Amino acid sequence: MKFRLDFLLPLLAALSTLSEALPVLRRRDADIESLYGITRLNRDHSGKKGDPSGKYFHESTFHPHYDGRFAEKILSYDERRIHLTALMQTYLSTMSDIGAETWIMHGSLLGWWWNRRIMPWDSDVDVQMSYHSIKFLADYYNMTIHHYKLPGIEKGRDYMLEVNPNYVIDSIDDKLNVIDARWIDTETGLFIDITTLRRNRTAEALGMEGVMMCKDKHHYLEKDVFPLRDSVFENMPVKIPFAYSALLEEEYGPKALTQTDFENHRFDQDKMEWIPLRNPRVRKGPLRDIRPKLRTPKTGPGSGI
Amino acid sequence: MAGQDQRPEKYEQNPSHLAKEFPSRTYQGRPLIDFVTNDWRTDSRYQEGIYTSDESESLYRREEDDYWVHPRWKNMISYKRVPRRVQRYLLIYVALLIATWVSWTWFIQPDWEKNKELESQLNAKPTSVFGSNMRPEFSDMTQVKTLDSSLLPSEHQLMQRLVVVGDVHGCKEELQNLLEKVSFHSATDHLILTGDMIDKGPDSPGVVDLARELSASCVRGNHEDRMLLALNDMRVHHASLPGPQEDPGRTVDTLDEESFSHGDYKARALARQFTDKQIRWLQQCPVILRVGEIGGMGEVVVVHAGLVPGVPLERQDPFQVMNMRTIDLDTRLPSDGREGTAWEKLWNHEQAKLLEKERSTVIYGHDSKRGKNILKYSKGLDSGCVNGGKLTAMVIGASKEGKAKTKIVSVKCKNQGLKR
Repeated sequence: MKFRLDFLLPLLAALSTLSEALPVLRRRDADIESLYGITRLNRDHSGKKGDPSGKYFHESTFHPHYDGRFAEKILSYDERRIHLTALMQTYLSTMSDIGAETWIMHGSLLGWWWNRRIMPWDSDVDVQMSYHSIKFLADYYNMTIHHYKLPGIEKGRDYMLEVNPNYVIDSIDDKLNVIDARWIDTETGLFIDITTLRRNRTAEALGMEGVMMCKDKHHYLEKDVFPLRDSVFENMPVKIPFAYSALLEEEYGPKALTQTDFENHRFDQDKMEWIPLRNPRVRKGPLRDIRPKLRTPKTGPGSGI
Repeated sequence: MAGQDQRPEKYEQNPSHLAKEFPSRTYQGRPLIDFVTNDWRTDSRYQEGIYTSDESESLYRREEDDYWVHPRWKNMISYKRVPRRVQRYLLIYVALLIATWVSWTWFIQPDWEKNKELESQLNAKPTSVFGSNMRPEFSDMTQVKTLDSSLLPSEHQLMQRLVVVGDVHGCKEELQNLLEKVSFHSATDHLILTGDMIDKGPDSPGVVDLARELSASCVRGNHEDRMLLALNDMRVHHASLPGPQEDPGRTVDTLDEESFSHGDYKARALARQFTDKQIRWLQQCPVILRVGEIGGMGEVVVVHAGLVPGVPLERQDPFQVMNMRTIDLDTRLPSDGREGTAWEKLWNHEQAKLLEKERSTVIYGHDSKRGKNILKYSKGLDSGCVNGGKLTAMVIGASKEGKAKTKIVSVKCKNQGLKR
């Protein structure tokens, strides 16, 4: 009897691998079929068919800043502002509850700098995360739905956190999977692209210390980002990189930090707000970024442009 | 000829008289003139032309060679012959003119152009100015604090003095020497530190304790900023970082801590040296300290690195106030890099344009490479003490009329050797 039990366990293990009963992680994306019940859509608007096979995240067929599994139309200027703000606030709230270290960058940092809010013409939010945080999210919070009660919406709203399994790949050669995670509004399809700030292994091999990079080809010095500062963004506590004004100056140039007339908006110094000069149309095409002066352009699939 | 023939007769009449009177000019009792003959005209010996040069040969001799300027040309140039003095002076003036023109074009004018450009840039009213945005707000930082007015030197408080010291960086001994040198009396004198009191040097907690003892005022420098934020990070983190037994000399993370410790071992090691009371004292240091009006200096302000002119103190960007070195003249955007115009140049230029009662003097540290930098409305006091330079203090007192009396005092520092 005992002899057979000893034999039984490895036999079971061998059999289960044959029948694939043991859970094996296979690379596949969360297509709309697996999301029925979460999304209210029946038709898939994600540009999945047009994307290369290795790409995990897909943009919608009608706009790069909308997720096609949840969105079917582009929002108006005012609607977009409200929903984007809610998206940001719920993201920051969730991350602080989980304890994940995240901070705002690029366009969102510029919006914070001007008046602690998202700039009205912005259609996406840029955040970064540390590697430890994204690993934690991937291990325990991937594909989780977070329900929030929001002012004006009785039923509340669901937000989904989705982590790209390709976040473990450290190199910029992985051009298809530049975004490491997404925080998605399941009702409107708006999302936040989350990138991870990693240690630059190639630079370290060359002897340079303290250089960090993102898969979307941004490079930063560790001492410019850490230690993070505490501040407020859209009335929520947020973390800001250490040398925020130096980073903004380098990325966007001095005009972006001083020009009060921009993108058909004017910065009102009394109200401390960006006022639209005339009723702006919602643009159908891809939106250009605010005069980025990046060393390498922020383009390509998955980058949101 | 006639006169000459007459002379021998005259002299022959009184030879002895002459011989006595002119002994060197007489020979055998007769004057030497008697022996002078006109043989050269007649004697063939002198006719042979020994002394003639080729020039007198008709073959080589040209009439033109006799003149500086041939009369033919002279007649062409001048209608009436120009007097020689005029010609001379004309020549001299022309030469001077050429010399002036050369020195202007090649030496003076480029410098003048450069200065003019700088002036125009400084004067240019930028259409979009830095400082329009809402001031960045951080939960653990005070932007502006005002010094207690009872500590200000004035004509009513003649005994009061302010002693402002540059970047100490933990050099407690040198600070004590400096205070001795200025005869610091804690009853009447008040110490103000321009930030960067800690880090790099041998005794950072000692400096903080000394400052607390003397109830000194302080300003937040970039080193305090980094240290306090790293400390905050340490306390807030969910996973704890190694405690006191962490080897202070380590430079690598273990695999677990890799991604969240961010390599700030030095900041953590430094942060661990301080007690809670010292940390609280450092945390209450504002970014900008408004000292107040002192006669002749306008409103005195103390910061760590610099200020942007034309922007109210409450709206200055805290990171740049602690780090700026240069400023962009088109947009008035400050930067911590070294390329571009030094910010204090613009500051002084702008202050001079304001009414006297609106002017402001800023005292700062931070830039040890350029060292002590005393201008009319900006006083840079970082003379690189921790790297073997000097520790500088500015002592401000008041005269009976209420005017500020300032003195710069320095002590030499030991080279602590740490260059980051």
